[in-house]
Amino acid sequence: MGLPFIAVRGLLGSDILKHRPDLLVQENPFNPSEQVVVAQPLRPDVAVFHALKADRWGNAVTPGRRDDLMMARAARRVVVTAEEIVAEPLSLRDAVDDTFLPALDVDVVVHVPLGAHPCGLGTLYDRDDAHLRVYLEAAKTPQTFQAYLDRYVYNVREQPEYWEQVDHENR
Amino acid sequence: MRYTPEELMAVTIAREVRDGETVGVGAVSPIPAAGCMLAEQLHAPHITLIILDCAEYYPFPAGSSELHFLAQRGELDLFFLSGIQFDRRGNFNLHVIGDYYAPTVRMAGAYGSAMLYYMAHRVILFRDQHTPRIFVEQVDFVTAAGITPASVYREGGPALLVSPKAILAWDKAAGGWLLDRVQPGSSVEDIKDSTGFDLRVSTTVQPATPPTEHELRVLRTIVRKKLVPSYPEFVREKIMAR
Repeated sequence: MGLPFIAVRGLLGSDILKHRPDLLVQENPFNPSEQVVVAQPLRPDVAVFHALKADRWGNAVTPGRRDDLMMARAARRVVVTAEEIVAEPLSLRDAVDDTFLPALDVDVVVHVPLGAHPCGLGTLYDRDDAHLRVYLEAAKTPQTFQAYLDRYVYNVREQPEYWEQVDHENR
Repeated sequence: MRYTPEELMAVTIAREVRDGETVGVGAVSPIPAAGCMLAEQLHAPHITLIILDCAEYYPFPAGSSELHFLAQRGELDLFFLSGIQFDRRGNFNLHVIGDYYAPTVRMAGAYGSAMLYYMAHRVILFRDQHTPRIFVEQVDFVTAAGITPASVYREGGPALLVSPKAILAWDKAAGGWLLDRVQPGSSVEDIKDSTGFDLRVSTTVQPATPPTEHELRVLRTIVRKKLVPSYPEFVREKIMAR
C-alpha cells in the first residue's frame, strides 16, 4: 500500500501488543473517545514465491487466490522460483483461479522444478510428510537445525545433490 | 445412534447458524466448516458461507485479507475460533503455554483472530477436548480479550463455547461463562470437574438435544463429500461412514 501507517480495529486487550513495538495504541483523531491500534508498515528486504509458471519478463502465476501480490508489493526485492518458464508472455488470463504477479512487482525469476519441496504446490504435487517430519525434528534445537541446514542447504550446490540427500533420508 | 465427538460438535454448531447470515470459517477448522455446511443443507440455505482454503466456499476475487476487511467493515455475522486455553473472563490463547520467551508450547499465533474476536457480530469458540488444563482460571497469554473497556470499538464478541461435554453461554452483563446445556453422555458434575475455574451454572441448564438421525445422515453424505477436498484426513478419521 505504501502508506506511512494504518489504523486497525481489534487487538486492544491482547498480549500481542506487549511484544510488538510496531503496533501502537493511539486515540482515533476523528473520534477521541475511541482507542485504536496503528500499525507500522511491514517492509521485508526480500520476498520469495514459488510459482506454477513464470515468463522471462517476470510475470508469474502462483497457486490459489492468496495474498501473494500484497506481500510482493511490501517487499523491496522479489524473487520468483518457478516450475516452468514459458516462452510467451503471461497475463492475468493465465491466473483465473490463481494469483497473478505482474513483472512490475517481480525482480528475479529462477527456474526450479519441484521448488516447493518439502511443501506441496497447488494440485501439482503434495507435501512430503516424511521430509517435513525430518525438518520438524531438526528444528527443535539450534545444533540439530544447523546440521539440517548444512546437509540440505549449504553443502548442496545443484538440485540433484539435494534430491540425493532427501532420497537417502527417506530410504 | 453412535457418533464421534467431532460429529456432535459439528451438529451443535450447525444449530447455532441462523439463515441469511454471513458466516466465516478460518483455515484448518474442519469442525465449524462441517457445522456450517450442515446448517446450509438443513435450516439455513441462504447463508453466505466463507471458508478459507475451500474453493467451493470462497466468494472473493483476492486472498484471505478479504475476509478480514469484511469483518473490519462490520459485515461478518458469525465466526469461529479455537485455542489451547480458554479462561473465565472469555480470553483465549493461541500463542504459548508458559513464559512467552521460554514457552513449553509455542503455537503458530493469532493471524486475524485478535481482530475477528472483536469485529464479528458473534464468535463461537470451540474445542474438541474439555479438561482443567484447557479451561483455566487465567490464560498464559491473552491472544484476544473477552471483555474490553468502552473505549474499544467492538461489533460483537464471544457468544458460545462448545466442547464435547458442554455448551457454555457468554453472560455479557456478568462478564463470564454460564453452563447452558449439557452434551449427551456428560453431566453438570462432570463438566464442573473438567473445568479449571469455578463455572457458574445457568438456572435454566438443560440437556442438549442429541444429534438426530437426519442431521447425522446429511453430515455423513452431502457434507462429507463437500469436506473431502479440503479435509480428507478429518473426513476419514472423524466422520463415520454410513
